[in-house]
Amino acid sequence: MRFRTDFAKRYLSSRYGLAGLIMFLTMLIMALFAPVIAPYKPTDISHDMLSPPSKVHPFGTDHLGRDVFSRVVHGARVSLTVGFVAAGLSALIGIVIGALSGYIGGVFDEVISKIIDSFLMFPVFFLILIIVAVFGRNLVYIMLVIGLTTWPSNARIMRAQTMSIKEKAFVKIARANGESPTRIIFTHIIPNGMYPVVANSAMQIGGAILTEAALSFLGLGDPSVVSWGKMINDARSYMSFAWWSIVFPGIFTVITVVTFSFIGDGLQQALYPKLSEVRNE
Amino acid sequence: MDVLFAKYLFRRILSAVLLIVLVITINFFIIHLAPGDPATIMTGLENPSPQIIEALKRKYNLDKPLLVQYFKYMTNLLKGDLGFSYVYDQPSWKLIGPRVFPTLSITVTASVLAFTLGTYLAVLASRLRKKFGDLIFSLISYVLYAMPSFWLGLILILVFASKLRWFPTSGMFDMRASYEGFRKVLDYLHHLFLPVFTLLLIQLPVFYRVTRASIVQNLREDYVTVLSAVGLPNDKLFKKYVMKNSIIPAVTIFGITLGFSITGAALIEIVFAWPGMGRLLLDAVFRRDYQLLLSIYFLMAVFISVAMIVTDIVIAVLDPRVRLL
Amino acid sequence: MKNIVLDVQDLSVHYRINKKVIRAVEDVSFKVEEGDFVGIVGESGSGKSTLAHTIIRLLPTNAMVVSGRIELLGYDVLSLGEEDMRKIRWKEFSMVFQKSLNALSPVHKVGNQLADAMKAHNPNLTEEEIIDRLKQLLRMVNLPERVLKAYPHQLSGGMMQRIMIALALLNHPKFIIFDEATTALDVVTQGQIIEEIKSLVKSLSLTGLVISHDLGVVSELCDEIVVMYAGRLVEHGTTEQILQQPLHPYTQGLVRSLPDFAQEKKKLSGIPGNLPDLSQPVHQCVFAPRCPIATEECFKTVPSTEEIDGRRVACLKVGARI
Repeated sequence: MRFRTDFAKRYLSSRYGLAGLIMFLTMLIMALFAPVIAPYKPTDISHDMLSPPSKVHPFGTDHLGRDVFSRVVHGARVSLTVGFVAAGLSALIGIVIGALSGYIGGVFDEVISKIIDSFLMFPVFFLILIIVAVFGRNLVYIMLVIGLTTWPSNARIMRAQTMSIKEKAFVKIARANGESPTRIIFTHIIPNGMYPVVANSAMQIGGAILTEAALSFLGLGDPSVVSWGKMINDARSYMSFAWWSIVFPGIFTVITVVTFSFIGDGLQQALYPKLSEVRNE
Repeated sequence: MDVLFAKYLFRRILSAVLLIVLVITINFFIIHLAPGDPATIMTGLENPSPQIIEALKRKYNLDKPLLVQYFKYMTNLLKGDLGFSYVYDQPSWKLIGPRVFPTLSITVTASVLAFTLGTYLAVLASRLRKKFGDLIFSLISYVLYAMPSFWLGLILILVFASKLRWFPTSGMFDMRASYEGFRKVLDYLHHLFLPVFTLLLIQLPVFYRVTRASIVQNLREDYVTVLSAVGLPNDKLFKKYVMKNSIIPAVTIFGITLGFSITGAALIEIVFAWPGMGRLLLDAVFRRDYQLLLSIYFLMAVFISVAMIVTDIVIAVLDPRVRLL
Repeated sequence: MKNIVLDVQDLSVHYRINKKVIRAVEDVSFKVEEGDFVGIVGESGSGKSTLAHTIIRLLPTNAMVVSGRIELLGYDVLSLGEEDMRKIRWKEFSMVFQKSLNALSPVHKVGNQLADAMKAHNPNLTEEEIIDRLKQLLRMVNLPERVLKAYPHQLSGGMMQRIMIALALLNHPKFIIFDEATTALDVVTQGQIIEEIKSLVKSLSLTGLVISHDLGVVSELCDEIVVMYAGRLVEHGTTEQILQQPLHPYTQGLVRSLPDFAQEKKKLSGIPGNLPDLSQPVHQCVFAPRCPIATEECFKTVPSTEEIDGRRVACLKVGARI
């Protein structure tokens, strides 16, 4: 309990952490109450095509006369969902594989480490691209694929954590008491070692949002949802005479990703408070 | 030292080969696990002729188990057979070859510039020691880091090509002008600027942040206290000692970023209609030309591996400790 | 009467950490005469390192000297400008740092770094002269010449510590501070280095300080010992006096725990308890909460440093015990 209040205090004392939290809550409200906030339905077409920002359409309209503001607000839902589901899945897989690899050790660990290293060196975006192309453009697939391809960085962090925790006294005692490895991993190692993975996951949410945007931009996004990447792709052909249709979805993508970078940095700072540089001896 | 260095290099090459094998293995199985008749899928054609199907089955042992097919595919690769695109009715290499230079020219240029400029700005920021300047730099780096590369590219086109008309919007050469000699080079550089600039802006924050953090950490190291106490002028201490120590993490990530910059480049090639491998890749995805896809992936894996081995050598020269690893 | 090389008077040094003021050194005074070595002993947080760093002006930026005066080799150390200080530090006096993982830059050759250090104070030397002097220096600390071409990580702990000694001797200083110079070494190497330091000090006729948490090390190297506790000087006497007839209860505890005190930083076996909170002003004897013989008056009065038989001690109970 003490740890948690201290942690929260340290997190909130970080400038970026606090800013990130406020931005995230704003974003969340926008996504949750999208139908209330948006003046139009995101798919409503009208004859008012490619009209610049005005009182009626604060962000203007696109080539089918759809209200850009309403579409941006609804797009937040897709981005946040993709971000959380993909990063969550990635964290889950990473934590389990990393903990197993670090705890079991030996050949198993070596093989897993090699796979992790290779994955981290190769840009997984191409892998995601090929999987989406082969298996179909569905938001669920996209989230799954991002999660399934980005876990190695989490696994690496969890593996290092596990290696240090398994030498601690309480784990040794648990082992001496005859607790099963599964129990030790799930009740001692993971709960104590997962915090750095959580910080990394915040960054990964941003990464997943960018990946989904890139897929949608390439025309490989889910055709049935409104996403910022798709809006950018739609607006490409008209951008030279309708800047608003391309600028706003991009700006919201940037703000969202920055938000999660801030949160990730805040978490990092709360986890590893800088030791004050003082020789006090 | 030479023996150690050779061993180190051997290990790095081994893991690079492992990376290539892993990448093509994963890709191979993904493609072969796709629903549908493998021979038909592999051709990428809607209605492939029975002759092509027959030829494919023979070449890749398609009627044999998956593992046999996999080994057949690997042996073909080892023999230097990159594969054949049935969609274009050409060997993969014929299609990829002319696109290697355009892709390398934007990725390598952008990565080298990003490394130089990013580390330089980090040094500058730490020497300024002004809190305000540091905050501005770091906010800019957050924003650039969060920017979708394709969107940034489009915005730059919107501003510098469509509105200001300083640069061309797309392509590698002016098709109407057909320049020769030096004019052609200038025309090429003119077209190169915006895609490279986009990629540079995307990669800049990575190098900036890593180096910035590294400088901050190095300034706290004992050797700084010791050498400063000894009387080394601050300027020399920083330029000779802190800088060399601080730049190592940036070099380490250079190899990885170069790999990732190919991802960014693929998107940017599409935005700028740049005739590189990224464009071809996307076409292959849409046309389901899996033979071509596998070949492109293989080449990219090779390229990334080479980049990483070169990086490893540079690091070993800079940092004597890694040779012991 | 011998010359006084170092004269520390009423020195107080505070740190500012997170809006709190930590009183690291409070009212410390002592003198070092030419040719003598004085040991400063105390556990972590006793202020001994701060004291040493104040003397050669290497304090972190959040430290401030609140009061006092330091005269070293005739220089008024605390009032010298930063530039003047840089000119004399390492020429007139220097410090042997504790060897650590990154005590020298890990990616530069040892010889290169030593040469740069030498150039800092001798800009007119040629490369050959520098190399000659470095080789001479290495012989003094029993190191082979090949270490010049080595990187720090290729050297053993003992070798690195010898490099740190060589670095301190670079410009033939008159005054030298050993700051935990044998702490991070194994027992055998520690013994060797102590012997080497002894003969070096004698042959170069150096004056100086030895900072250590280890009374054993200090008593081997020093003529006099200053015992510090919670930033205060609690006892000061000759090595003989301190070892054979310690007056302050804290010193007595230190001496009692000598045999098993040699290797690691351990809590004093004879004295239970922890250091007091240095951010609070104290109106009592700082050691009273841990003192076995403290009485009510110890919790009410701050003991002054009294001279008894040519030695100094800050304890209200001393008169009663002698």
